[in-house]
Amino acid sequence: MPAPQTDLLQGTLDLLILKALAFQDLHGMGISRRIAQMTSGTFDVKAGSLFPALHRMEQAGWLASFWGESETNRRAKFYALTKAGKKHLHTESERWNRISLAMAAALRTT
Amino acid sequence: MISRLRALWNNVFRRKQLDRDLDEELQAYVELVSAEKAQTGVGPEEAHRYALRQAGGIDHIVQSVRDVRAGVWMDRLVQDVRYGVRTLAKNPAFSLVAIATLALGIGANTAMFSLLDQVVLRLLPVSYPERLVIVRETGNHYGNSYGPNTISWPMFDDLRDNNQVFSGMFCRFPVTVALGYADRAEQIPAELVSASYFPILGVGTVLGRTIAPDDDAEPDGKPVVVLSYSFWQTYFNGDRSIVGRTIALNSHAMTVIGVAQPGFDGVEMGVPAKVFVPIMMNAEMRPRTDGLKDRQRRAFSWVTAYGRLKPGVSREQAQLSLQPLLHSILEFEALQPEFLRISTAADRQLFLRNRVELLPGSDNGVREYMRRPLWLLVALTGAVVLLACANLANLLLARATAREREFAVRLAIGASRTRIVRQLLIESLLLSTAGAVMGLALAFLAVRVLLRIYLPADAAAEFVVSPIPDGRVLAFTMGVMLLTSLVFGLLPAIRGSRTEITLSLKDRSNAFSASGISLRRMLVGIQVALSLLLLVGAGLFVRSLRNLENSGPGFPTDHLLTFTIDPSLNGYSDEQTKSFYERLNVNLQTMPGVASVGFSSMPLLKGYAWQNAVLGKDFEGAPVEEQPVLSQVGPGYFATVGIPIIAGRAFTAQDVGPVYRYAVINESFARQYFPGHNPIGQRFGLVNDMQPTSPDTEVIGVIPDRKYRNLRERPPAQAYFPYFDDSHFRFMNIYLRTSVAPRQIEDALRERMRQFDPHVPVVDLKTMDEQVGFSLRTERLIASLSAVFGGLATLLAVIGLYGVMAYVVARRTREMGIRIALGAARSNVIAMVMREVFILIGAGLAAGFLLALALADLIRSQLFGLNARDPFTFIGAAIVLALAAGSAGFIPALRASTVDPTTALRQE
Repeated sequence: MPAPQTDLLQGTLDLLILKALAFQDLHGMGISRRIAQMTSGTFDVKAGSLFPALHRMEQAGWLASFWGESETNRRAKFYALTKAGKKHLHTESERWNRISLAMAAALRTT
Repeated sequence: MISRLRALWNNVFRRKQLDRDLDEELQAYVELVSAEKAQTGVGPEEAHRYALRQAGGIDHIVQSVRDVRAGVWMDRLVQDVRYGVRTLAKNPAFSLVAIATLALGIGANTAMFSLLDQVVLRLLPVSYPERLVIVRETGNHYGNSYGPNTISWPMFDDLRDNNQVFSGMFCRFPVTVALGYADRAEQIPAELVSASYFPILGVGTVLGRTIAPDDDAEPDGKPVVVLSYSFWQTYFNGDRSIVGRTIALNSHAMTVIGVAQPGFDGVEMGVPAKVFVPIMMNAEMRPRTDGLKDRQRRAFSWVTAYGRLKPGVSREQAQLSLQPLLHSILEFEALQPEFLRISTAADRQLFLRNRVELLPGSDNGVREYMRRPLWLLVALTGAVVLLACANLANLLLARATAREREFAVRLAIGASRTRIVRQLLIESLLLSTAGAVMGLALAFLAVRVLLRIYLPADAAAEFVVSPIPDGRVLAFTMGVMLLTSLVFGLLPAIRGSRTEITLSLKDRSNAFSASGISLRRMLVGIQVALSLLLLVGAGLFVRSLRNLENSGPGFPTDHLLTFTIDPSLNGYSDEQTKSFYERLNVNLQTMPGVASVGFSSMPLLKGYAWQNAVLGKDFEGAPVEEQPVLSQVGPGYFATVGIPIIAGRAFTAQDVGPVYRYAVINESFARQYFPGHNPIGQRFGLVNDMQPTSPDTEVIGVIPDRKYRNLRERPPAQAYFPYFDDSHFRFMNIYLRTSVAPRQIEDALRERMRQFDPHVPVVDLKTMDEQVGFSLRTERLIASLSAVFGGLATLLAVIGLYGVMAYVVARRTREMGIRIALGAARSNVIAMVMREVFILIGAGLAAGFLLALALADLIRSQLFGLNARDPFTFIGAAIVLALAAGSAGFIPALRASTVDPTTALRQE
């Protein structure tokens, strides 16, 4: 299985996908590009990880999908946040902030 | 939650669409990526290749997406079930035998136990039935008795008023009464009950009220009746206005005061009471008995007494506590004049040693009679279940061995071990489910058929036995069979999944199958042993039945028709009844097809008899093993039944006079009471606790010994008196010797009786052959079931043996080929295989012999006219089994001998 360049903590990929979709609905490649842009290229999510995650999140009720047209006028499947997805993004972001603060504090101590 | 459920629904039922969608999505993704790449100036084809490389394999993504779908396990389950059904269908012989084996085990056991449970084990449908006990006295009774579970009314009173262990007691007496309602005449079973009956049982009503203390306070006081629910439903169509109306019982107007709760049919299960009457109405419900005297006589045991144990008192404690009370009552009774009149000092000593015994309240005579034979049948079915398990295990082992290569291949191409084990688990479950469904159907049918065999047609409708199999037993048997199929289906698979793949693929005969075959040999041995056991049992039971049928009662039973009639229940006086019988006798003698007519107050071959102690000049007080069997008969009785007079003469219509003036006795009676004398002219008398008796009855004739109550008995001592002597006429059993087939005139007889007197119903009309057949129903049930079981067991054992030998031969094909190539004669090869067959059969037979010899004592009481270790039956069963199994083994042996050495050697 092709792994992301940096090993993602469990739940990180989900959070990134949710965040990527927070501002606009995107298709698979769009999500991948947006994550790369958001993380300044640190994370390059490959299709092998992306699509299972998208489908899993859709089944969990966080995402909804629909067929639309891409910017290059091609048919593509778009994903959007659902209400539950927005709520999840909110709670997960807070949790992540708490963890990252704690981690940063822990790493600062000598 | 809802979205997950929707997803699950889509995943399971709209898989195809989801997959198509996914394909399109990934296609679109690849195109987007390649379009993006194309903008950087590379050719479209290269861009496309780049996109695919980026994606990292479309198939892999599809699989990963599928794996995260909700309910993926269900998906796989469906796949496994489909595959399981396909493999089972591909091997129909295996599947059918396995399913049939399962169905046989589950069905037979469930049906048999359901019958046992309903006929013998089930508790009464009353509150806390386990705290209800029957109070009885064991030991020497004196005076008259209605059976071992009965005591006298005064005894019941004494026990009820003085005990410390019961929260309450009641008593009851079963009777048959003539019911008259809206021009219909018939006889129905009824229960005479004391006032405390319903409250102590905790049985209520759906309509009206039960019998209150006030209803049962005075003799002949309150003509009231409570109906059973089922009787109310069937006879009165559930008419709610029935309460307050009157029905006629024995021509007495009785007011219906209530309808008992559903499911309650009295305390004697199997003999459902339809109406309940206060026991103070005894004189009305039992014509020709003096109600008041019955109640006061201490030498007359007739009521069955029940007690409800106080909380915290066990049956054993209660029994101990009641013993001193009984003893003080007995001491009082032993001093009463009626006791002194009919007993000696030695009798008194024995009498005072009588003990009180408490039986479970749900027991009764019918149950006691059926208990042993039914447990025996349950044990037989137990052996069948064991055998079915062995057969199933054998089949599954054979199959697992045959599939080693399949599993090895699947492992080699990447299937996980758990997946393979799960696959086998599913196949076992599939088999078990199919077997269980068939077994359930079989049990349902079998219980109905068993009931039909076991009970007469009219009783089967009455008997409250449901054909619904017992759930607990069904669960138990299914559990056992499931466990067997799981253990023997999975064990080899788990072991097999650990074997080296390459080894299995290269070589079929690895170490694992060698240990499998010895287990299978053992299982076949067990099957042969159990089959022998069942065949021996079948042989013994079938021959016992034949012995009973051949021995017969000692008189010709063909062309003999019998029925019972009781005009006294219609309120006919003694004079009217006497005249009724006289006219009936004349009327029937002129009926076409009737050769002669005989009357008897007691029935033949119905399992019971009138017995009474007799006294005479030379044998007063002499102890006898059993009191003689007595009856009052008409002049034509002996000629009609077909019993010759071997000395003296039979009764004639002129033998009228005081009661018991003349008697005809049988040889046993003569031997027992007048040894060494010519019995003709000897005198004896009937012991009577009501008045002093003297030996006034003169013997005028002697008949040979004939069976009386049933076909099993040694003919008892018998004495007959003319019926027209008696002033108390009750029911009479009529015997008709017919000149045509008795069945032909049954309808004509019914019609003739209806014209003769429309109010007096003909009861229990049947041919004597039917009567004999019915009296042998238990024996017939056991014989036919054990024969069926024995046959099936043999079939299963033969299949098992064939399977093992076929496998052994197939594995040794190469060896056989070499032997033949080196010059072994084909007969040598056959002998070699058959030696193994005979060792297998011999070991099984030896084990079976030991088992059968050890268990023989358990069935001794069910046999007739042969020993439980009858050598002929044992050897016969062994020969049948050896022949059947031997020929099953001969087929693979023959195949081994025809092996072509060149092909055999060329085989892998």
